Amino acid sequence: MIPPRKDLLDIASLSLEEVQFLLETARPFKDLFTRSVKKVPTLKGKSVLTLFYEPSTRTSSSFEIAAKRLSADVTNFQVNTSSVVKGESVIDTVDTLQAMKIDYLIIRHQQAGVPGLIARHTHAPVINAGDGFHAHPTQALLDAFTATETLGALEGRRILIAGDIRHSRVARSTSVIFRKLGAEVAFLGPGPLVPPTSHTGIRTFRSWQDAFKWKPDITYLLRVQLERQRGAFFPSIGEYHRVYGLNDDRLRRVRDEGIWVMHPGPVNRGVELTDAVMNYERCLVNQQVENGIAVRMAVLYWLQPAEKEVPGA
Amino acid sequence: MPKKSRQTTALFKGGEVLSTNAGPLRMDVLVVKGVITRVGEGVATPEECEVVDCSGRLLIPGMFDLHVHACEPGREDREDIGSASAAALAGGITGMQIMPDTSPVIDGGGLVQGILDSAAKKSGIEVIPAGAVTRGRAGEELSGIAGMKARGVRMLTDADQPVANPLVLRRAMEYARDIGMTIGSHCETRELSGDGCVHEGARSYQLGLPGLPAISEEICLYRDVRLAQFTNCPIHVQQVSTMDSMKAVEFFKAQGVRVTCEVSPHHLIFSQDHLVDYNTLLKVNPPLRPAADREALVEGLIAGTIDCIATDHHPHTEFEKNLPFWEAPYGITGLETAVLSLYHHLVKPGLLGWDVLIRAFSSRPREILGLDPIGIEEGRVANFFIFDPTATTSFAPNSFRSRSQNTPFVGKELDGAIVRTICR
Repeated sequence: MIPPRKDLLDIASLSLEEVQFLLETARPFKDLFTRSVKKVPTLKGKSVLTLFYEPSTRTSSSFEIAAKRLSADVTNFQVNTSSVVKGESVIDTVDTLQAMKIDYLIIRHQQAGVPGLIARHTHAPVINAGDGFHAHPTQALLDAFTATETLGALEGRRILIAGDIRHSRVARSTSVIFRKLGAEVAFLGPGPLVPPTSHTGIRTFRSWQDAFKWKPDITYLLRVQLERQRGAFFPSIGEYHRVYGLNDDRLRRVRDEGIWVMHPGPVNRGVELTDAVMNYERCLVNQQVENGIAVRMAVLYWLQPAEKEVPGA
Repeated sequence: MPKKSRQTTALFKGGEVLSTNAGPLRMDVLVVKGVITRVGEGVATPEECEVVDCSGRLLIPGMFDLHVHACEPGREDREDIGSASAAALAGGITGMQIMPDTSPVIDGGGLVQGILDSAAKKSGIEVIPAGAVTRGRAGEELSGIAGMKARGVRMLTDADQPVANPLVLRRAMEYARDIGMTIGSHCETRELSGDGCVHEGARSYQLGLPGLPAISEEICLYRDVRLAQFTNCPIHVQQVSTMDSMKAVEFFKAQGVRVTCEVSPHHLIFSQDHLVDYNTLLKVNPPLRPAADREALVEGLIAGTIDCIATDHHPHTEFEKNLPFWEAPYGITGLETAVLSLYHHLVKPGLLGWDVLIRAFSSRPREILGLDPIGIEEGRVANFFIFDPTATTSFAPNSFRSRSQNTPFVGKELDGAIVRTICR
């Protein structure tokens, strides 16, 4: 067992060994899901709080299910974002939670760095469930788990991440984990949504044509926030879909070349993809969701004191 | 402390006296009632005169800080003129120009008088208020310029709020030129800054924080300095932070434009690479730039392209700096740490000479404001500090004279110590 950490705030600060350990630990947890009783007593008597400053259904549910399958008591604290006013201190909230003797804190916040800020002010392990455009480490872990499960070792594999890179914590964390595991990553998207290679350190394609020539093994589509259009990041949803979406023509090429498709959800049909993509036999979206629970269990397990055994190991 | 030092009579014996033009010379300095009466070797001790042993120490002219946010009136919980002055004295700074971005904004003669009255009561250093360019710093109507000029204001600036409308700035420059004032400009194109809060580059990408691109500063700088050229008004660029900004200043200087500029100690010492863990104590505007810019700024300072060092001392409460990075206010305090941090990081390692520091942080800022020169010379008012290069200074939390301690040096130890500051 790799020595546990207190917090999981991003992927960049994890060593390759830690990433591999978490992926290996998630495997037996996933095996549990096929049993009639999906629960293990690992976190019995422990309390887990999900603190979401940003609306989310799938990530908070996934964490909740993961914690419950480890027998933890879960409280969901959905902060009404309209009541969060500038000047209200996140630290004050955390002091309150500290007094409630929470054992694990799972935090999503619209501003980068907030989980780290909270982690420095609490003894409880903190898991970053997404902070601003910064990081979404459990998403990256589930993506890596899904890709590895599908392709085997990722060494030398090519992963194309398409869409709104600039505003995506998923792109930041997922590109880091894929590269850590030896894969090559490239970005595809319009200039205003893809920071230059000099900032990202990652090659960028401006067209699907060029991206296909690169022979990616996986195409990872990002959700395009519709409101970005108002910020003049691209002219219109229709134009985005025509130029950068995975439309049915491009799906034919994807199918011919046996490329796998991933997406962190929730998807925008008619923007970054079409219905046909969701029905494509190599679309991994549902596996991603399922694997999310397993890797989140692994993370909760790891951030524990070190005595416990991995179930089934 | 201010009142006591006002009438200093003492013989400062055996220190190395630094001035801009000569290397260090071991001299005794006799100060009688706040005036330097003798500088020389083996000065005899007059009767009933304090003798201060300065052997192994440096006597350095007092620094003048062109860019201080003293927060009075309005935010005395952060700082006031008295606490800022005490911090300055502790840091070897004997004069400061304070920014008008208070509440209310200093945009007329009566308000300036209020600052001067407060300074007379609370401060032992030279306090020169800057006035706002526009009423309420709103960028629309010109402030009460003549009334402020009459009370000693020398520079007009809307502080951290750039004058967005170039026509308003043009009129202000035409008016300021005729009345003999300088326009101070915080160069930032707000539309290009957007939501940004750190330099736009690899670091902002990694941190997932919206970026402040270098062009936001540079485009406004080109605009403002070109307007100054067009109107023939002297302009002082506050807080140059990029290599290209500096090159632009150099270009306009070569054209004969009356442009001067300043750089902060933090832009000379830190780069964006120091921004780890969302440390809000390094959140400043203009933001910390790449290391290559930092190196260029040091070179530009040595070459004289950058005229002066100014701290942009910007106090904030602990609560404010404990907010999430994006929300936390810009600014760090600098009065107490400026000289020591520059000594520790640049002078001691041999990257910057004391001559440059004295020129950029003492004589040049005074020239820009048209203040009398100072120097450790006979007949001048005593205005210097004693520096011990072998000692260290620790900046423990809650040990600051400033009411705020939002500085990256809190909890740190720096080489060198300011033993005593003599002024007036």
